[in-house]
Amino acid sequence: MAIEGLLKEGFITTSVDKVINWARTGSMWPVSFGLACCAVEMMHAGASRYDLDRFGTFFRPTPRQSDVMIVAGTLTNKMAPALRRVYDQMADPKWVISMGTCANGGGYYHYSYSVVRGCDRIVPVDVYVPGCPPTADALIYGFIQLKNKIKRTNTIAR
Amino acid sequence: MDKALQLQQALQDTLGDLVESMTLALGEITVVVDSARYLPVMQALRDAPGLQFDELIDLCGMDYSEYGNAAWKGPRFAVVTHLLSLLHNWRVRVRVFVPEAANVVIASVTEIWPAANWFEREAFDLYGILFDGHPDLRRILTDYGFIGHPFRKDFPVSGYVEVRYDEEQKRVVYQPVTIEPRELTPRVIREDDYGRR
Repeated sequence: MAIEGLLKEGFITTSVDKVINWARTGSMWPVSFGLACCAVEMMHAGASRYDLDRFGTFFRPTPRQSDVMIVAGTLTNKMAPALRRVYDQMADPKWVISMGTCANGGGYYHYSYSVVRGCDRIVPVDVYVPGCPPTADALIYGFIQLKNKIKRTNTIAR
Repeated sequence: MDKALQLQQALQDTLGDLVESMTLALGEITVVVDSARYLPVMQALRDAPGLQFDELIDLCGMDYSEYGNAAWKGPRFAVVTHLLSLLHNWRVRVRVFVPEAANVVIASVTEIWPAANWFEREAFDLYGILFDGHPDLRRILTDYGFIGHPFRKDFPVSGYVEVRYDEEQKRVVYQPVTIEPRELTPRVIREDDYGRR
């Protein structure tokens, strides 16, 4: 919805929310944090064949520089406080993708004595990616779903 | 002469009456030791000139309470150690049954083989066997607020506690297990002569 005549001057008009969401979805940086075999599929998604880089998604070595956390694998009781700490260290706004059956609800280890029955007991989850493990393209689809979710949010006009 | 028989002869010569029994099966020798003579036997296994088992390969706990799918007579727990003699290229398995008492206590072999340290911590963590003389007997595998010893046969598969994040306390807390226990009995369909053809 451009104001008449401004485009020729080199201006376009949009809403601030749209710009913010464009910026947020255009560079979603997940923290490099793998827990189990799902982490290998996550690496495949980041490597040359599927290439998450072309979506502006780069793995960051520190939670301070990250927007997204991919819980890739089995979350054990012993790891749970560490996972929560990594989540708490991320700067807002932040999102969580739960990758794989184990992270979604305990999966194969649901009845185990040492595994958290779903990482949503520890951190709030935005997107659940099913599979054991999910394929790399399933994870990328999860990213696209998360982007669609972020595009629906309004920061200014609530 | 067969290597295992050589080893059996050497063990017989050195240990003699110190051991309860010695069996040779499938080319492997298992020595069963009384818990009172555990340390002297282990010391002799390492230091005797004819043996020199200077490397401890593995140490693990055992729970015999449901062994052979029947009631077990005798001590419930055992500690099994695998040793290697680099000089002679011999291996031996030592089993010691832990005496029945209020506390399951057995002597530690960390003084003889420092490598036993983490193995004994593991056996303590999973079976609750206490090792007398161990320098740092803490849990090694399970989480920090864990209750119970998961490899004991009477341990419920889902355990006693689980974790969740508490919004008020802003930390991960422990709570009693909230799910129903489930036991799966696999249905096995086999011919009557399975394994005998």
